[in-house]
Amino acid sequence: MSNLIEVSGIVKAYGGIKALAGCALEVREGEINGLIGPNGSGKTTLFNVITGYEQVQQGLVKFRGVDITNAPPDRVFGLGIGRTFQLTRMFARLTVLENVLVATQREEGWARSVTRLAGSQLERARALELLDFVGITRLANEPAGNLSYGQRKLLELASLLIADPAVLLLDEPAGGVNPTLINHLSDRIKDLNRDGKTILVVEHNMEFVMGICSRITVLSQGSTLMAGAPAEVRSSPAVLEAYLGADEEEAALDAELRRELDAAAHANATRLASVQATVVREQGPDAGSPREPEAAGPGASVRTRPNGPPPLLQLSGVCAGYGGADILKEVTLEVPEGAITCVVGPNGAGKSTVMKTVSGLLRPRAGEVSFRGERVSGMTPKQILAKGIAQIPQAHSLFPEMTVQENVEMGAFTVGDRRLVRKRLAAVQELYPVVRDRAHEKAGSLSGGQQRLVEFARCLMLDPDLIMLDEPSMGLDPRTRSMVFDMVALMNRQGKTILLVEQNARAGLKLSSHGVVLENGRVRLTGSGHEVLTHPEIGALYLGGAVTATAA
Amino acid sequence: MTLDKQTSAAGDAPASPAAAAAPGAGGDRTQAAAAGPQPALRSPLRLGARGLILLALVVFPLVITDPTTTAIAFFALVFMVAATSWNMFSGYSGYLALGHAVFFGSGGYALALLCQQLGVGGGWPSFALLPLCGIVAALIAVPVGLIALRTRRHTFVVVTIAIFFIFQLVAYNVGFTGGTSGVFLPAPPFSGASFNTPFYYVAFAILVLSVTTSWLVRRSRFGLQLLAIRDDEDRALGLGVKTRRVKLSAFILSAFFVGMIGGLYFDFIGQVFPNTAYDPLFDLAVALMAFFGGLGTLTGPLLGAAVLESLQQYLTLSFSSSALYLIAYGVLFLVVILIMPRGVVPEISDLLARRRLKAIGASRAADKQLSGVAEVLR
Amino acid sequence: MSGTAFLEAIIDGILTGGVYALMAAGLTLIFGVMDIINIAQGIMVILGAYLSLELSVHFGIGLLPGLLITVPLMFCLGVAIEFFFMRRLHDEDRTKMSILVTYAVAIVIEGILTATFGVNYQQLSASYVNSSVYVFGFYLPDIYLIGFGMAIALLVGLYYMLYRTKFGRAVRASLQNRTAADLIGIDVNRVRTISVGIGVGVTAIAGVFFGATNAFNPNSGYDLISRLLAIVILGGMGSIAGAMGAAVFILVINDVVAAWWSPTWAPIVYFVALVVVLSIRPQGLFGRAAVRTQ
Repeated sequence: MSNLIEVSGIVKAYGGIKALAGCALEVREGEINGLIGPNGSGKTTLFNVITGYEQVQQGLVKFRGVDITNAPPDRVFGLGIGRTFQLTRMFARLTVLENVLVATQREEGWARSVTRLAGSQLERARALELLDFVGITRLANEPAGNLSYGQRKLLELASLLIADPAVLLLDEPAGGVNPTLINHLSDRIKDLNRDGKTILVVEHNMEFVMGICSRITVLSQGSTLMAGAPAEVRSSPAVLEAYLGADEEEAALDAELRRELDAAAHANATRLASVQATVVREQGPDAGSPREPEAAGPGASVRTRPNGPPPLLQLSGVCAGYGGADILKEVTLEVPEGAITCVVGPNGAGKSTVMKTVSGLLRPRAGEVSFRGERVSGMTPKQILAKGIAQIPQAHSLFPEMTVQENVEMGAFTVGDRRLVRKRLAAVQELYPVVRDRAHEKAGSLSGGQQRLVEFARCLMLDPDLIMLDEPSMGLDPRTRSMVFDMVALMNRQGKTILLVEQNARAGLKLSSHGVVLENGRVRLTGSGHEVLTHPEIGALYLGGAVTATAA
Repeated sequence: MTLDKQTSAAGDAPASPAAAAAPGAGGDRTQAAAAGPQPALRSPLRLGARGLILLALVVFPLVITDPTTTAIAFFALVFMVAATSWNMFSGYSGYLALGHAVFFGSGGYALALLCQQLGVGGGWPSFALLPLCGIVAALIAVPVGLIALRTRRHTFVVVTIAIFFIFQLVAYNVGFTGGTSGVFLPAPPFSGASFNTPFYYVAFAILVLSVTTSWLVRRSRFGLQLLAIRDDEDRALGLGVKTRRVKLSAFILSAFFVGMIGGLYFDFIGQVFPNTAYDPLFDLAVALMAFFGGLGTLTGPLLGAAVLESLQQYLTLSFSSSALYLIAYGVLFLVVILIMPRGVVPEISDLLARRRLKAIGASRAADKQLSGVAEVLR
Repeated sequence: MSGTAFLEAIIDGILTGGVYALMAAGLTLIFGVMDIINIAQGIMVILGAYLSLELSVHFGIGLLPGLLITVPLMFCLGVAIEFFFMRRLHDEDRTKMSILVTYAVAIVIEGILTATFGVNYQQLSASYVNSSVYVFGFYLPDIYLIGFGMAIALLVGLYYMLYRTKFGRAVRASLQNRTAADLIGIDVNRVRTISVGIGVGVTAIAGVFFGATNAFNPNSGYDLISRLLAIVILGGMGSIAGAMGAAVFILVINDVVAAWWSPTWAPIVYFVALVVVLSIRPQGLFGRAAVRTQ
């Protein structure tokens, strides 16, 4: 097998930070090569370099032996390297079919391209064939902007295939996609490979990578750690250390992290409790939380609904959506106090919409949201926040140009009392050392995991009773992810009721005492986290099975 | 209107979700689009309406001979061409150019100077030079486009404005433009009530030419690439679209028609001054017209220009006050853009499409079917 | 050209640059908070000048005391425009649409001014408009000094507001991440309305100094907005410090070319400079590439 793509000695720096420090990569003809590595190891940057979206200072990129270093993207594509993007990109106002037709020709004279129709009979037939291949033919005449996230991934793939590139570079094809679709995607990728396409895929989902790749290249801190067969990579201690080692549940959390956690847990017992006490004292009984002190204990999370007090948050018959179309269709669910409730479900099921409706970003069209028995639907986000409901939205919710400390202080924006703000700041600094250590750095410069912690800290500044977390693990490598989950559990132990939305259903449900399965805007299943996880129907509903059958 | 976008498979009207599955008209369209580039079956009614409008435009100056009215009609045609041509670049590519007066005025200067230098007389002989005006404008568009198209989004807008001001200032200060005293065009040998008629027909011919070109671009691969650039330029580049070449081509094409109609406009006016040739209001007017009717559509700029320019001319002529038309113009645009943010044509055609669907009672069934599709692969 | 004349041109440029920086700061603030390019900013300065003119001619209220009336008026105008137009622009085409909408607002204002005041040129006058002080061998007109001083004071105030006050934090937060700002209890709509009010409010002050140092008519808005756009784009959209630097840069070029060569060529020089700079550095001289994540 010959090398189709050869990359060597690539150096790419932003300011003083090296995103790529001399990394190398070989992609052999006919293989599926998996490019893996922890967050920030430079995978996407390497993609951008190969496809000409970013220029490098040093290094060599060769395709079929031809030097294509720093060649513009259109030329790279013309030579036969097609790519997808981590956050899918498509032409939102063109129809799905037109999206596929954009790339039909590699070279064409100007006069001919003006007079020629957009897509000959033949090209259209081919485009429809490809849509059929990925499974979205019936959406051919929809504007691409109407597609769901998963469908966009499929469209992006189809729009590359029409030009018949020799190599496909896929950037996190399984990211943020439900398990059914992941299976579908991996089948398609295998099909393509069988038809002779060479594939380079970046992915965090190990199961997916190990399942389809014949060879794996590991990046770590901008350089290539190793390349080899999946089994080799799996058993390599170096890779384990850099990356996979932390994947093995809690046991793999390294000592440093564990120490940090222990310290935090210890600190909280004294610190946060006293802060809470001050809240009640200083703000009076109305503004503060009427929470029972004993709710703030580890025991709270095992409380079950039937015998417990009325739920903290209740949605009944909520219909909500954007621009006339309902995404939530009569959603009724309860969030018991002191527990972690996890909402799972396929992409587009309406999980995030539930949160937006509760936090007031979206007004329900019908139904009611009540908090401690009081109706909160119809209130502004600010009023709802004052009731003690806080939401941490999906990734990138910090103010990137503000310092870490400013960000955290912003959490207490609605709190007038400066002394109280200082006190809480001290408490969260204790809890999350990164808030103190990086206090004066811009929030945008932190790593993904650190940003999550700062978001948690910002949220705790208001000392809410209910914290809604929208996919806290999104875009994080396994090690950071398990750290974030531990922090979520810790917040819960400290007495916060948590409503969690997770794409990674297993991890989310394992953490939670209560589970809710949402599908197509309706609640399909509720129960304890364990019940939901082991429910026979969930496999069919969510983790692949029955749905796959209808997908065909 | 004259040319319905539904005839193009690459139609710009976002197919309403229901249309994909609905029986009847929507269904035909879907089939046609899927099967090949052939236009969908046109309803005889629509074809008839189109023919009627075309016929009305042809016989207009023969029936209505009042010079004031025909002059207004001529100005409306001029701006229909200008808005259509502007739309050919800005509407399709999403690059908002606010400096097309450069090409309009340069077309005027080109004709005036060509007539002066070559000793060409007014009227038909000068009309024969109009393609040259277009070529001059297109040649100017090459360096302008090369520079301006290095930038994107609002920076591009500002660069086009800056280039516009450079042209205006240069026109005031160089010798051959005659400075503030301007250049005169040869008087045409037409007279009396029929003075406007030849201008009207030439403008009409250019209109037909530019609309046809715009329509061709719209349904060509070139046009599809322009639209792709509008939606996501980087992605288009990554799919092999030679974005710079495509953008520049559209820019030049657009300048050509604006230059040609600019020549005719100033031929009609009889003289070119720096402040009339390079008028910031022109830059805005064409953009407002296209937005008013519907950016990136074929009929939108035509409708926008017809309405807004006629209104402007009418107000100016009846009240001889430029203040009034400025106010009316601005207010009308603001009202329309607030009620119909995408422009008149797309909003109305969507409304009609929804109505029709309701009438067949298909919306429910279609909805069901669609949610079935959506369910498959979320 | 003599060295003195050269120096004088530079000093002139810096002094007038201050006033331009103030107008541009308003423009860039509105862009920063709302992603909206307010093309009407130029004509608003002219409107401010006409308001001051009216107050001084018909009511005998001096230019500077008159600001107590005109600034709140312009603030209200900004609030109204934000409420009726800018707020209603949504999603992806916001910036582009805003150019057209505010352009339309500009021509409405121009039409009203033309209908009310005609197209004759006017100039504001007061005792300090024609007096000057003698410093280090240069005659510096008082009005330039007052304008410069006031502009600098206001810009410092604006900076203080943005970086030291709670409101300023709310402004920056809603600028950097709207959803997150909503979720921590910031009333983003109110923040935006007030910011636009401030951005437009400063045009009243700038109007006085522009009107006192230039002859103006309702048409002058075009020339002004083209300069302001040049300034904010050069400075990097959304950056107030950049706007200050660029304002001084452009005005110094303007005045030096005017003194050295000819006033008519001065604008051409800086427009060319603008085009050249932007085709090399699209983010502007002082701007950073892609500041925001949203």
